Amino acid sequence: MEPVIRLENLTKEFKVLNRHEGIKGAIGDLFSRDYKIVTAVNDVSLDIMPGEIIGYLGPNGAGKSTTIKMMSGVLEPTRGRVICNGMEPYRNRTQNAENIGVVFGQRSQLWWSLPAIESFRILRDIYQVSNADYQEMMDLYATMVDMESILHKPVRQMSLGQRTLCDILAAFLHNPSVVYLDEPTIGLDVAMKAKIRELILMLNEQKKTTVILTTHDMGDVDALCRRIVIIDKGSKLYDNDIEHLSELFGKYRTLSLVLTGKSDAGNTELISRRLADVKAVLEERWPSSDFFEVSVSDFSIEILIDEKKASLMNVISAIQDKMKIYDIHIEEISTESVIRKIYGGGI
Amino acid sequence: MIRVGFLDNMQFRLALAVQVIGNMIYLVLMYFLWKAIFDSSPVDTINGMTFEDTMIYLVLASAILEFIEMWIVWGVGRDVQSGQIVVDLLRPVNYRTNMFFTCFGGTIVNLIATFIPTMIVVYFVAGRAYALSWNLLWFFISLILSILINYYINFFTATITFYTESVWGINVAREVVVGVLSGATIPLAFFPDAFRKVAEILPFQGICNSPLTLLLGDGMAPSEVISILGVQLFWVVALSVVSGLFFKVSVRRITVNGG
Repeated sequence: MEPVIRLENLTKEFKVLNRHEGIKGAIGDLFSRDYKIVTAVNDVSLDIMPGEIIGYLGPNGAGKSTTIKMMSGVLEPTRGRVICNGMEPYRNRTQNAENIGVVFGQRSQLWWSLPAIESFRILRDIYQVSNADYQEMMDLYATMVDMESILHKPVRQMSLGQRTLCDILAAFLHNPSVVYLDEPTIGLDVAMKAKIRELILMLNEQKKTTVILTTHDMGDVDALCRRIVIIDKGSKLYDNDIEHLSELFGKYRTLSLVLTGKSDAGNTELISRRLADVKAVLEERWPSSDFFEVSVSDFSIEILIDEKKASLMNVISAIQDKMKIYDIHIEEISTESVIRKIYGGGI
Repeated sequence: MIRVGFLDNMQFRLALAVQVIGNMIYLVLMYFLWKAIFDSSPVDTINGMTFEDTMIYLVLASAILEFIEMWIVWGVGRDVQSGQIVVDLLRPVNYRTNMFFTCFGGTIVNLIATFIPTMIVVYFVAGRAYALSWNLLWFFISLILSILINYYINFFTATITFYTESVWGINVAREVVVGVLSGATIPLAFFPDAFRKVAEILPFQGICNSPLTLLLGDGMAPSEVISILGVQLFWVVALSVVSGLFFKVSVRRITVNGG
């Protein structure tokens, strides 16, 4: 099967003026020729298959949005190329635009002062969707979303959640082969996020739309993506299934210990002391180890253990020697923790 | 898109009213200014125009500039600064054409709401300032060409904001250049010879001077009419090509703000 999108050694550099502060600096800048080159995307290669939902992750400023802008044809790469649906998007901007949908979490593509339904009608005309197809999409949406309550509202009167929902509906309206979702769930409440994830899954299943999702919410990643690509400082760090992610850092497990009795529940001072005690025990037994991460969550002390370096049982017995353990929980490392480690430069 | 522009514009009725009032204040100022100029002159006619002629010309010229004024330089500049332009670039429509029709709705509203009434008022107040025959037809054809010329000039200026991201200075420059060289601030007849010759070969006079010459002139020879319309048409085509090319080049070099 041919990939629907292919990135070949994609690079984007920006020439940025070195700006100085203060009034003298600002005036000096007017005449300055002192530019620096910022590499936003550095030699990224990637193949995306039709029908995939792929998570495109990275810390803030990693170059995710820049890559998406190149994939959607808005920016031209400095080197390398993007091939989407058989063409280079920045060379055939309007033609490529017929087959893609984009949702930017931080801005809306809908017409601000008009009701949502007007925006949908305009988009139907712009993308030349047949009346039958349009009606089919609207009916499909109606099975998942309470359309009546939002269709006739002017977009500027909508809450963030409603607006995002409408933006997503608008992006899929013309049944594009690829949809880019750039932080779609940003700022939404838990219920809304769940609703939107359901919607995206359903549309991907029914319409076989390829979805490229950029997000900082690990819940989104867990719910939607089978494959993850991680990018940082412009370079690709990881490109594989979500299951393989935890193998990146060896075997990690989280040990959750409750070291305070029920009667002491809520005694934050006591908990802090226990935290310090635990750290001391670990320090003593495994001096200058950097493979533990100890933190407090609710009433339990959480220890992230690299099982290749220290055995879980040894940790438990070391702590038990010094204090009473009331409850134990053992968990696999969460996607979130792995991602955090990667963002923190763990690779 | 025309419908969208129309609907969008009608949302701001107060703005429309203020625009009309603003125009009237300008006219009052001009009246007194030119009255003073003509009063201080020993002859009734300066450069072939009487005070009446001048006033009629200026009132109509400013009314043309008023309704033909387009906000796209500000709109595009603001979109470039905020990064909102990415939304328009992701649509499968020609950006320039899309912009035109969004504007056009507003232009039509202004034409009907401000310009036509002004024309009617001038006709009666100034005692039949213009004939009511073929010249009206030429006038309206010329006006359509004026709208296009003005649009392309505006679009060209708007494309400059891709590079500078700042709007104000560029827009002021454009307004001044268009205002003066179109003959709207001072009728072209009043320009010193050399200056006027330059102004006549530039596209700007096609915005006000051409349509008004066709409207106010009596008994113009067909060859004159054709020559005026022909020059306008030439500029429509030339500016279309230039602004189109400039946009094509600029849109590939653009940096879209926001991530």
